Amino acid sequence: MAVVAAAAGWLLRLRAAGAEGHWRRFRGVGLARGFLHPSATVEDAAQRRQVAHFTFQPDPEPREYGQTQKMNLFQSVTSALDNSLAKDPTAVIFGEDVAFGGVFRCTVGLRDKYGKDRVFNTPLCEQGIVGFGIGIAVTGATAIAEIQFADYIFPAFDQIVNEAAKYRYRSGDLFNCGSLTIRSPWGCVGHGALYHSQSPEAFFAHCPGIKVVIPRSPFQAKGLLLSCIEDKNPCIFFEPKILYRAAAEQVPIEPYNIPLSQAEVIQEGSDVTLVAWGTQVHVIREVASMAKEKLGVSCEVIDLRTIIPWDVDTVCKSVIKTGRLLISHEAPLTGGFASEISSTVQMFNYAICCVELPLYGKPCSIL
Amino acid sequence: MAVAIAAARVWRPNRGLSQAALLLLWRPGARGLARSHPHRQQQQFSSLDDKPQFPGASAEFIDKLEFIQPNVISGIPIYRVMDRQGQIINPSEDPHLPKEKVLKLYKSMTLLNTMDRILYESQRQGRISFYMTNYGEEGTHVGSAAALDNTDLVFGQYREAGVLMYRDYPLELFMAQCYGNISDLGKGRQMPVHYGCKERHFVTISSPLATQIPQAVGAAYAAKRANANRVVICYFGEGAASEGDAHAGFNFAATLECPIIFFCRNNGYAISTPTSEQYRGDGIAARGPGYGIMSIRVDGNDVFAVYNATREARRRAVAENQPFLIEAMTYRIGHHSTSDDSSAYRSVDEVNYWDKQDHPISRLRHYLLSQGWWDEEQEKAWRKQSRKKVRAPRPGGCGGGC
Repeated sequence: MAVVAAAAGWLLRLRAAGAEGHWRRFRGVGLARGFLHPSATVEDAAQRRQVAHFTFQPDPEPREYGQTQKMNLFQSVTSALDNSLAKDPTAVIFGEDVAFGGVFRCTVGLRDKYGKDRVFNTPLCEQGIVGFGIGIAVTGATAIAEIQFADYIFPAFDQIVNEAAKYRYRSGDLFNCGSLTIRSPWGCVGHGALYHSQSPEAFFAHCPGIKVVIPRSPFQAKGLLLSCIEDKNPCIFFEPKILYRAAAEQVPIEPYNIPLSQAEVIQEGSDVTLVAWGTQVHVIREVASMAKEKLGVSCEVIDLRTIIPWDVDTVCKSVIKTGRLLISHEAPLTGGFASEISSTVQMFNYAICCVELPLYGKPCSIL
Repeated sequence: MAVAIAAARVWRPNRGLSQAALLLLWRPGARGLARSHPHRQQQQFSSLDDKPQFPGASAEFIDKLEFIQPNVISGIPIYRVMDRQGQIINPSEDPHLPKEKVLKLYKSMTLLNTMDRILYESQRQGRISFYMTNYGEEGTHVGSAAALDNTDLVFGQYREAGVLMYRDYPLELFMAQCYGNISDLGKGRQMPVHYGCKERHFVTISSPLATQIPQAVGAAYAAKRANANRVVICYFGEGAASEGDAHAGFNFAATLECPIIFFCRNNGYAISTPTSEQYRGDGIAARGPGYGIMSIRVDGNDVFAVYNATREARRRAVAENQPFLIEAMTYRIGHHSTSDDSSAYRSVDEVNYWDKQDHPISRLRHYLLSQGWWDEEQEKAWRKQSRKKVRAPRPGGCGGGC
């Protein structure tokens, strides 16, 4: 696993240049281009190599949180963890290989700064890592657990779903593990194959009692991670691993919070709502600009940010305005989180449309 | 290479006499007894020496091919203080508990037994949906609870109600949880016997087995960081010890040096599954040394043995920040639960033997009688009184919040 991560780091350093994440240059057809050029024949598509890409789009430098510094995603995570350990003396970070800095460099320097009783390795056992984290949180201390890849979170599924999510409810609020946060690298990286690329958020979406959060950028990551750590519910924070180095922007040095369960409308539009999270936000941003340029279509782009509990209002309001919704994610289609969003929106908007169709005069359709 | 099992006698400072024998798996070349920093120090790397240099083990070479034979015929011996008639065997092991404390042990066990009978009947009458009795295992509960401080955190499985009973959890709240009524501080959300009490440091029970084990380890780690002088005790059965969470918990406790007592109630059955189908090694105590954990096997039906072992484990766990494993051998006299009829998989004779010949309550009663601290009249009166207490508990006994 560490070898893969090291190779990943090497590859990413070679390929990534500055803020742009072009890690392959082919004249091939991206899926978006294929859609926008229906004249391309099936044979053409088969001969050209199907390669997806994205370009990281940094947000403008935040002004309201004080001094900023250029940080990539893993550095922004380190900064958030640094702020947390400084502020909260009970906070501890643990997981596989976190002591030397982590396979993705997210915990570099923290053990030296805060001590080996606060930043430490655990044995190689995800069910133990999460169970242990729950126990720390039960005593009221802050537990920040790392699962080395989201692909390996499944041994901990019982502890997360049967224990962490239900701790407060089943005890009638006598006990809780709200000060537990689980961080894990998530999503496609290009060469990760089956077991270093998964996006398991949909499995956890089916579980009331936990929060699942996925940032799209370093600035978002730090603010959302700090909110997760301070949230009084157990949270899972998935970090898009391809963005660890590929995404860099100005990030405040001081701590700040980005609220959970609030989607962000990154770009306003009128013709169609595009929803995504994590890396895919940058893909659909590019799609939005291509649509504008080539088709004259005005897209409203929404970054969902929190998967559960998700911001139903923002998405539905947007669909009421545009009348069309497209959701894009990396995970498998069946049972993927897009199915939850689309069914909720259809239920919500169907009700709205049925009642208010005469007033709005605009049909609702889901792509 | 033979595996030698050496008994290490542990000295208790305020007693000056040898106390509980703690068994430690000892191999030639081992770097001494368990201590608070059991890291394997790497030897100075030298190619001139023909000694092993592997970071993964501290051991000598051997040139004879020999597999270690697991020893299950003559397993880890079972520590006991009283014989089956309640007589102290070795006076130097007698904890010399004062009369009030021994009476409290006895009354907790018998009150629990009475409550079990009445609530089991309640389920049969349709008053509550489900119940699990503690018959035969009362000694493991009160013996260990009595050895702890009241603030030590308890993570249980589901058959440890005696720990709460010993900590004076009101009868009304036991029953409120079983009835799921408005008085239940758990808000009626779980099946019966899933007790929890914040005030008495008893973490709410959950149905999935062994999930509490790594959690207890985390709590112990936090207690260590907080310099709380607290131990965490984690109860589980020999069946739950087969779960991956148990393995995870043991390994984490040892590597992260946590002040925790793992207390395994080995009662012979996991619902219908006997121990012969649960494991092939020498029970759960033999697993401890595999993780680097100080381990002992005790007679769970002997409250003094349970008390002594837990007391010593607590003292050392806190002082040395290391885990201890106690395997308390006992027998589940009752069915697994009200949904079980154990005559389907075991003989009534077997059950009767334990009920009549080797029961923790009878053994302690014999001890009390021989000390002159109890008699038949008090027994009759107490039986009547405990039934009355269970049938009509005083409301608001917890004083408003747990």
